[in-house]
Amino acid sequence: MELDDFKNTWDDLSAGVKINENFKPQKLNKMKQSNLKKILNNIILPETAGSIVCIAFAIYIGFRFDNLTTTTFKIIGIATILVLMILCAISLMSILPFYKIGNLDKTYSETVHDFAAKKINFYKLQKLNFLLTYLLFVLVIILSTRLFGVNNITESKYFFMYTFTFGFSLFLIFSKWVSKNYKKSIRTTEELLKDLSN
Amino acid sequence: MNKSENFLDGINKHKGLIFKIASVYTNTIEDRNDLSQEIIYQLWKSFDSFDQKSSLSTWFYRVAMNVAIYHLNKGKRKIQSVALGDQIINFHEMDNSETEEKWRILKMEIDNLNLLEKGIVILYLENKSYEEIGHIIGISTTNVGTKLSRIKEKLKKQISKKL
Repeated sequence: MELDDFKNTWDDLSAGVKINENFKPQKLNKMKQSNLKKILNNIILPETAGSIVCIAFAIYIGFRFDNLTTTTFKIIGIATILVLMILCAISLMSILPFYKIGNLDKTYSETVHDFAAKKINFYKLQKLNFLLTYLLFVLVIILSTRLFGVNNITESKYFFMYTFTFGFSLFLIFSKWVSKNYKKSIRTTEELLKDLSN
Repeated sequence: MNKSENFLDGINKHKGLIFKIASVYTNTIEDRNDLSQEIIYQLWKSFDSFDQKSSLSTWFYRVAMNVAIYHLNKGKRKIQSVALGDQIINFHEMDNSETEEKWRILKMEIDNLNLLEKGIVILYLENKSYEEIGHIIGISTTNVGTKLSRIKEKLKKQISKKL
C-alpha cells in the first residue's frame, strides 16, 4: 500500500463535514473577551503556582534571615533566595513563548522552524531548572537547621539520614527519566531542524 | 459581498480542509474540535490582513497549518478559545468501516512523520501541485519532489511492515 492509495480515504474524510447553520462570523468577536478570562484561569494561574511557591519561600527566608546567625548561613540564605528567583524566572521564560501566536502569514517551514527552536530552548531551560532544583534541595536541607529551629545536627541525625537518602534516590531516578526523555526529544527536534535546512 | 459573507464563503469552501488539518494534528475528538474552532477564529482575526498576493485558498492552507503548529506549542495547556456554545464545524462520523480502518492506518503513519513531512503529505493528499506545495511550505519545487519521494518510500516501508 502506498501514499497514493490513501487519496480516496483522505477525500472521504471530509464528506460528513458541515458548517453549523447558525454560525455567524461576528460571533467570533465575542471570543476575544472570553479568551482573556480563560488564559488567566487555565494557564497563568496553574503555570505560575510553582513560581508563587518559590517567591513565598524566598520571602519566608527573608523574614527569618535573623535566624541565620553565621556568615556561612547568611551566604547560603542569599544563595537559596537567588536560586528560588532563578527557578521562578526559568519557569516563566520556558512557558510564556508557547502562548504567543506569531505571524500566521509566515510559510509553514518558518513556523515549524520557530516551533523547533522554542522546543529546544524549552528543554535546555528545563535541564537547567532540574539542576538548580538539586542545588536548592541541598541548600534547603542545610538552611533548615536554622530556619526550622533544628540547631543541633547530631540530635536530628535520622532526619538528615532519611531526607538525603530518600531525596537523592528519588532525584536520581527522576533525573535519569528526565534526561532520557529530553535527550530523545532534543534529538528528534534537531533532526527536524536539519531537515528544514536541507 | 461584504467581509462576513466573503469569510463565510471561504469557510464553506475550505471546511473539509480545516477538519482534515485538525484531524491530522490532534489525537482526540475534543482536541480536534478545539483546533478547528481555533483555526476558524484565527482565520477570522487575520482575514483583514489577507493581502491577495496569493490566492485565498493558499492563504487558508497556510494560516490553518500554522495555527495547528501553534496549537501544538501549547501542549497540554490548551485554551478552548470558543465560548459560543455550539461547534462551528459538525462532523458525522464515518459509517464505512473500511474507510475508517484505512484512515486509522494513514493517521498512524502520518503521526510518525516529522512536522515538515506532515505538512507536505497533507498538501499532496489535497492534490496540490509541487509548485503550490513549495509556495505554502516555503521550500523549492525541487525540494518538494525530493522530500515527497523520500516520504513515500518511508511510508511504504512502514505500512508494509504493519500489513
